[in-house]
Amino acid sequence: MTRYALTRLALLVVGLFVASVLIFLTLRVLPGDVAQLIAGTNSTPAQVAAIRDELNLGAPLPVQYADWIGGVLRGDFGTSLITGSPVLGELAQKAQVTIPLGLMAMTVALVIAVPLGVLSAMLRGRVGGTAINVSSQAVAAVPVVWAGMMLVVVFAVWLGWLPAQGFPRAGWNQPGYALRALLLPAITIGVVEGAMLLRFVRSATLQAIGQDFVRTAAAKGLTRTQALIRHGLPNMALSVITVLGLQVAGIIVGAVVIEQLFSLPGIGRMLVADVGNRDLIKVQGELLVLTGFVLVVGFVVDLFHRVIDPRQREAA
Amino acid sequence: MHRRTLAAATALFAAAALALTGCTGGGTEPSASAGTPDPDASVAIRLVLEPSNLDIRQTAGAALDQILMDNVYQGLVRRTPDQKIEPELASAFDKSDDGLTYTFTLREGVTFADGQKLTPADVVWSLEQHKSQAGWADADTLSRVKSIDADGQTITIAMKEPDSQLLWNLSGRAGVILKKGDKVDYKTETNGTGPFVLGSWKQGDSITFERNDKYWGDAAKVKEVVFDYIPDNQAALNAAQAGEVDVVTGFDANLTDQIQANGDYKVVLGKSTDKGTLAMNSTNKWLGDKRVRQAIRQAIDHKAVIEALGSGQTLFGPIPELDPGYEDLSSVAPYDPAAAKKLLAQAGAEGITLNLTIYNGYGTTIPQILVSDLNAVGITLKVDAVEFPTWLNDVYVNKDYELSFVLHTEARDFENWANPDYYFTYDNKAVQQLYQDSRSATTDDEAAADLRKAARIVSEDMAADWVYNGASVVAVGTNITGMPKDSVNERLNLFEIAKSSQ
Repeated sequence: MTRYALTRLALLVVGLFVASVLIFLTLRVLPGDVAQLIAGTNSTPAQVAAIRDELNLGAPLPVQYADWIGGVLRGDFGTSLITGSPVLGELAQKAQVTIPLGLMAMTVALVIAVPLGVLSAMLRGRVGGTAINVSSQAVAAVPVVWAGMMLVVVFAVWLGWLPAQGFPRAGWNQPGYALRALLLPAITIGVVEGAMLLRFVRSATLQAIGQDFVRTAAAKGLTRTQALIRHGLPNMALSVITVLGLQVAGIIVGAVVIEQLFSLPGIGRMLVADVGNRDLIKVQGELLVLTGFVLVVGFVVDLFHRVIDPRQREAA
Repeated sequence: MHRRTLAAATALFAAAALALTGCTGGGTEPSASAGTPDPDASVAIRLVLEPSNLDIRQTAGAALDQILMDNVYQGLVRRTPDQKIEPELASAFDKSDDGLTYTFTLREGVTFADGQKLTPADVVWSLEQHKSQAGWADADTLSRVKSIDADGQTITIAMKEPDSQLLWNLSGRAGVILKKGDKVDYKTETNGTGPFVLGSWKQGDSITFERNDKYWGDAAKVKEVVFDYIPDNQAALNAAQAGEVDVVTGFDANLTDQIQANGDYKVVLGKSTDKGTLAMNSTNKWLGDKRVRQAIRQAIDHKAVIEALGSGQTLFGPIPELDPGYEDLSSVAPYDPAAAKKLLAQAGAEGITLNLTIYNGYGTTIPQILVSDLNAVGITLKVDAVEFPTWLNDVYVNKDYELSFVLHTEARDFENWANPDYYFTYDNKAVQQLYQDSRSATTDDEAAADLRKAARIVSEDMAADWVYNGASVVAVGTNITGMPKDSVNERLNLFEIAKSSQ
């Protein structure tokens, strides 16, 4: 187990390094620079040059990369070229919106996917099962933006129950308002992600139903539902956790889109704005943290798998 | 039984929904006169473009001017919404007849938001910084200034040569008065002399201004103004319909009926200096030919553009109606596809293909119209919608483009047509001379007359097409008074804004 964890950790570190190089280089390919954006469309080349000097944008690429990674290793992700604020501080502030949004979206996804997925498998071949299956396929195909618009129209504009956009200025000091502000966006992401997850739950359940040990349990006197819950669910949990780990990336992408639509001051909206401003120091810091987060989730899921699945432990 | 329960539940749901919408929507009678202004009110204003930072000294862009000028930072003089110059931190000003000496009487008792006193030395220092700091915005606009001196409360600016634009420039970035040696982090903080102070800035969300209780002039009529940055018009409409904002600027006039539907908002159309500019690169093989440029202009149905946008007016030259030197140049290149085809035939440019580089934030209305109008005369237009930094790099810096569309919002920016190095690639000595004459003129009328002549030449040279002159479209809550109407995307002066309690 320890050996597996260490190998897996080494893989994580290599992954992070490769990601950092890719992030750094990809951003350098983007046309336009921050000095020109600060100077605007009535500027003289002299003005742009003065700003470029001030911001120290002239260093060769390897030096810039070494500076950046050196800082990251010391826990310093750099400061924004535009506002001068530390990248980590800004990320921490925006995470107050995005992390609760992600957790709420995931909760919504699970609440929809697990019961309906199991139900749809158990009702297979009947009208109810087909209905769930078909509607989940339909919902999974809906673009997040469109789903969001529809929810806003119904719950914010027609019914006036929830805010249409924005986040309370006092943030979580107004917990009620903050929760209400995140509810529609979380449902929007959660419904779409949940519809995808539902199909995995369904097929995992179907697989479990066909397993020998479930059939044996049923033969020994348990009802089919009891057998499924007692012996099938733990096995399903494995594949659901794996898929959920993969969906973290999906939820982050969903957050980027949905934060625009709902004008939420989260990481996604900040990222889009920073790319638009060519605040490269900030963007590369943000992307590295996000990539790191997804990679760490994958790492944890893998380890977790080992811990809860006795078969894998023994095989190792 | 089952079906009956469902029906009852549906009815209950519908009734609840009706009751709720009734509460939020039509509950109040829209009447501005009924309420009295509430000095403790908070006004929420939807804006489109958020500033990237708050550095008024360096960072270009209307997003900063819009909120910070006049409200937070002030100059010796200010401009009114109809573009006149009036005193601000100077109680009076005077210009010598030869245009070489300007004198300003600085107000006494003015303090900065942090309590420091405004001194004549601050004024001299600020203006000298604007003149000498290469990285500051509009640094070159004070190039004709020889010296700036203070004697008591009298500030004297001596000129090397007359500059008809000096007062105008002093009402802009180049005239902002800062505290000498201030320790403010200008990127995220402010310290000005205006009626509002920066309360908080939640990046990616909103900026809050609070009333400056130590303001030297008449106090602001509201306690707080919140600028909500909502880029998307549909989201802004949703916010308005949910009662979350009091004023919606930069609105889409095509959504007027929807936002006015419940009687809580009134859409106000004002003028602006936004010029939808279709630049034509004269170094291109085809576009170097004036006949081709004229054909493009005559192929575009400008009236149809205005109809599609739902607001604005046509513009046939580089100077919009709000700026000095405007004249109606619609006869220079009237809509005439047949004439356009003839011109293209004469130039041997039938069936050519051109690329249009356009900033992707402008939506698809304009490119669609351009593609179909040009297609009708035999020009295939390929549209390359790019991010703004890409536009800046390819078009503005490297002049690597054929056609480009950008909304130039700045007032009085004719100078760019007199600058052969600008991305317009327009080089006409007569225009450059007229522009210099206009700057050196000692009266406003002379200056305007020179600009008028120059603008006509630019238009007659078919240097570009002005697809439209944008309107300032603002939806104002019926309980709001004192909201400016013109050029609000450039300057949003909040001295008079008030909110009635109803």
